[in-house]
Amino acid sequence: MSEATRDWQEHPLRVKIIGVGGAGGNAVDRLRMSDAGPMELAVVNTDFKTLDASPLTEKVMIGKTVTGGLSTGGEAELGRQAAEADREELSRLVEGVDLVFILAGLGRGTGSGAAPVLAEVAAEAGALVVAFVNLPFSREGQRRMRQAEDALAAMRDSCACVISLPNDLIVQQAEGDPTLLEALAIADDWIRRGVQAIYSMILENGLINVDFATLRGALHYRGGKAVFGFGEGAGDGFVEAALRDLERCPLLHLPDNRFLRKTDGLILNIRGGPDMPLSDVYRIMDFIGDRFGCKENTVLGAVVDGSLQGRVQVTVIGTVDVTGARRHPYRVPAAARPRPLPAVPPPPRPAAAPAPAQAPNAAAPSSASAESHGDTSFAAPGRPAPPQTGNAPSARRGINPPEGQAEFEFLAGEDRGYFEKTDENIYEGQDLDVPTFIRKGIRIAV
Amino acid sequence: MPRNKIIGAVEIGSSKITALIGEIEGGRELNIIGSAEATSMGVKKGEIVDLSSVGRCTHAALLAAERKAGAQVDEVFLSASGAHLEGFTSTGTVNVRDADNWVSEEDVRSAGQSARQKALPAGRCYLVHIRGAAYADGREVENPVGMQAAKLEMKYWNVHADEGRITDMIHIISGYDDGLSVEEIIPASVAAGRIAASDDERRAGALVVDIGAGTTDFVLYRKGHIVHTGVIPVGGGHLTNDLSIGLRINFKQAERLKLRDGKAVLEKGDKEGHVMLEGDLQIGDRPIPRLAIARILNARVAEIFSIIKNRLGSAVSPQAVPGGVILTGGTSELPGISEVGRDVLGVDTRAGTHPAWVTREDLRDPGYSTTLGLLFFGLQGQSLGERKTEAPKAGLLRRLFK
Repeated sequence: MSEATRDWQEHPLRVKIIGVGGAGGNAVDRLRMSDAGPMELAVVNTDFKTLDASPLTEKVMIGKTVTGGLSTGGEAELGRQAAEADREELSRLVEGVDLVFILAGLGRGTGSGAAPVLAEVAAEAGALVVAFVNLPFSREGQRRMRQAEDALAAMRDSCACVISLPNDLIVQQAEGDPTLLEALAIADDWIRRGVQAIYSMILENGLINVDFATLRGALHYRGGKAVFGFGEGAGDGFVEAALRDLERCPLLHLPDNRFLRKTDGLILNIRGGPDMPLSDVYRIMDFIGDRFGCKENTVLGAVVDGSLQGRVQVTVIGTVDVTGARRHPYRVPAAARPRPLPAVPPPPRPAAAPAPAQAPNAAAPSSASAESHGDTSFAAPGRPAPPQTGNAPSARRGINPPEGQAEFEFLAGEDRGYFEKTDENIYEGQDLDVPTFIRKGIRIAV
Repeated sequence: MPRNKIIGAVEIGSSKITALIGEIEGGRELNIIGSAEATSMGVKKGEIVDLSSVGRCTHAALLAAERKAGAQVDEVFLSASGAHLEGFTSTGTVNVRDADNWVSEEDVRSAGQSARQKALPAGRCYLVHIRGAAYADGREVENPVGMQAAKLEMKYWNVHADEGRITDMIHIISGYDDGLSVEEIIPASVAAGRIAASDDERRAGALVVDIGAGTTDFVLYRKGHIVHTGVIPVGGGHLTNDLSIGLRINFKQAERLKLRDGKAVLEKGDKEGHVMLEGDLQIGDRPIPRLAIARILNARVAEIFSIIKNRLGSAVSPQAVPGGVILTGGTSELPGISEVGRDVLGVDTRAGTHPAWVTREDLRDPGYSTTLGLLFFGLQGQSLGERKTEAPKAGLLRRLFK
């Protein structure tokens, strides 16, 4: 259904949260305990027993022919096969949904194997896909970490935004020595904050609301990396306190992105009490814009929450286009594109429908081409079209890099902070460039 | 009278590039006549990531050292480090030629030759073949020449490196002043070990650990011979990076904090104590718990030692290294680091001191061991024919030069 012709009264925006695998399913189950609002919840798993135990109503069992209703035993390949076998089931699950959140724990079988397939299916169906994935503890060993990394890379291909939450950091966020339940609660809280930041902007009534098209616009690069952080402040000077807290958020200080001063799209969500003045909102916005170097392409949502009297919560989600060549072509109207797209073809992905001015791509399915009709109508005015956003990788500057160079750019794209451009530093399955205390789970109180 | 030879020693490190200039008088005596260091840009974990900026920094250091020395360098000794260095042990065995089994120089040479024969995969090149122990009929001997034995075995420790990275370094030096030549490239561990450990310590058996900014280079001596060298691509930069991530401060602040208040062990009173980040009472200054600093640094330092322990296995024990563990390099100045080394390795660990012939106060800094070692080998190269004739490096360098 084209968004230009859609009757929003009859077909309201549909948001679905789908947990994949054991960890993902649990996260969704626990999300349900807190307020999920008008969102639909679903779980996908290979394991009949786990699915049966879930209190949710929408459950999809995959890979009966592959695992026979048992778990994958930690084999990502089995998880992938299971999802591939039941692709139709998955596509029914996401049919007509506008915004899909995928929650999964990467590193084991179903999460690592099936979540990328689900993301692909959802993207093909035309949904905006945002994923929150937990990465295994370093201590869980090399194999899990590798499966997780492979899955993460695969998910970045089809998701608008993949937010990775390393379990190693849980211990940094906890008070004292966390129990297992507390650790799980922290991981859930991260996910809840992220999900809430996005859906509250478009679904809740707030000071400043954002429509779905704007949100989609802010997340229009695929294959990029995401930064995610939050802060909370209370009492006198709660705005400053929240911003300080945000700066100290361990998720913003991952080796991957701590030097990040330049994001390509930014979603900022502010939740405050009824007493929060607009000036505070703008103060926060200025600070965030400076910190992440993304003044032009920031989507702001501000929500009033009666329970937050004298307090404020700030959540930031930013995307970074690391490849420069992987944007959704259909997001950019031909007229707004001053120069032809880089010579590098976007990776073959059925959902990437041809941009109107480009050579026709016969492989594009009809659902995605329907999207492209709506193009001009929701390239939100006032927000500059991507080619003007400036100093990002060379592909976006309109330079046509030779094939080889683009390849190199992609390989060099993984931002590893201070140690970027250096060889990997893997010793016994652990990346030595990641601080020892994080890998060993030593808690540092700041 | 022939002009004295002027040699340069250059270490392209991760935090700084050090150049020393020595004058060799009469082929036996070395005077250090110039020294300079330049901030290193574009080296990480001992490896060059930005060739042109490293080139500029290196040339600046060489130029400054030459100015101070008032002389021009004839040839350069370079140190190499980084995770691309690897080593292995090889043994060359020959049946002694002489009918009466008297071992000759020729036997030693051919045993050495057969020990160094192993071909390397494409893209790798040998840096050095370091001669180890000799065995005459299975009995370890100091010098087999003139002894009687039917079979002679020679052990070698061979260090090889990525050819591209070595070529890069040679190009940097040859790009200086119309083509300066690189005489020899020596693993940083070998150079630093020669300076940080005394003759007696090396004879007894010792482990020298040079913890720099980007890498930790170690060398194990047994009976005066090098039996193992290694590089761990972790150094002081990682300590700083860990602090900056763990305490959510920027890299510069973390570096200052590490130098000012860093320590590798938890002490009494650290539980509650705080230090101010900047200590200037400005906005943005904040108290940092001592406990957090010590925990972060302790975890990293202990990990460095435990990796060395894993690599060397049983070769590190009080019996195997009576000379103990000797620390050098810039990061060895971190308070408490020796204690962590002792705890992890189980061997007496202490900071190394430079030999007495290093008289200049500023060169006694542990950050200079590698370059001093390079100069030392430069001097050795003049008087000690052995290394030169044995190592086929001259050919290698010439080949790389083209």
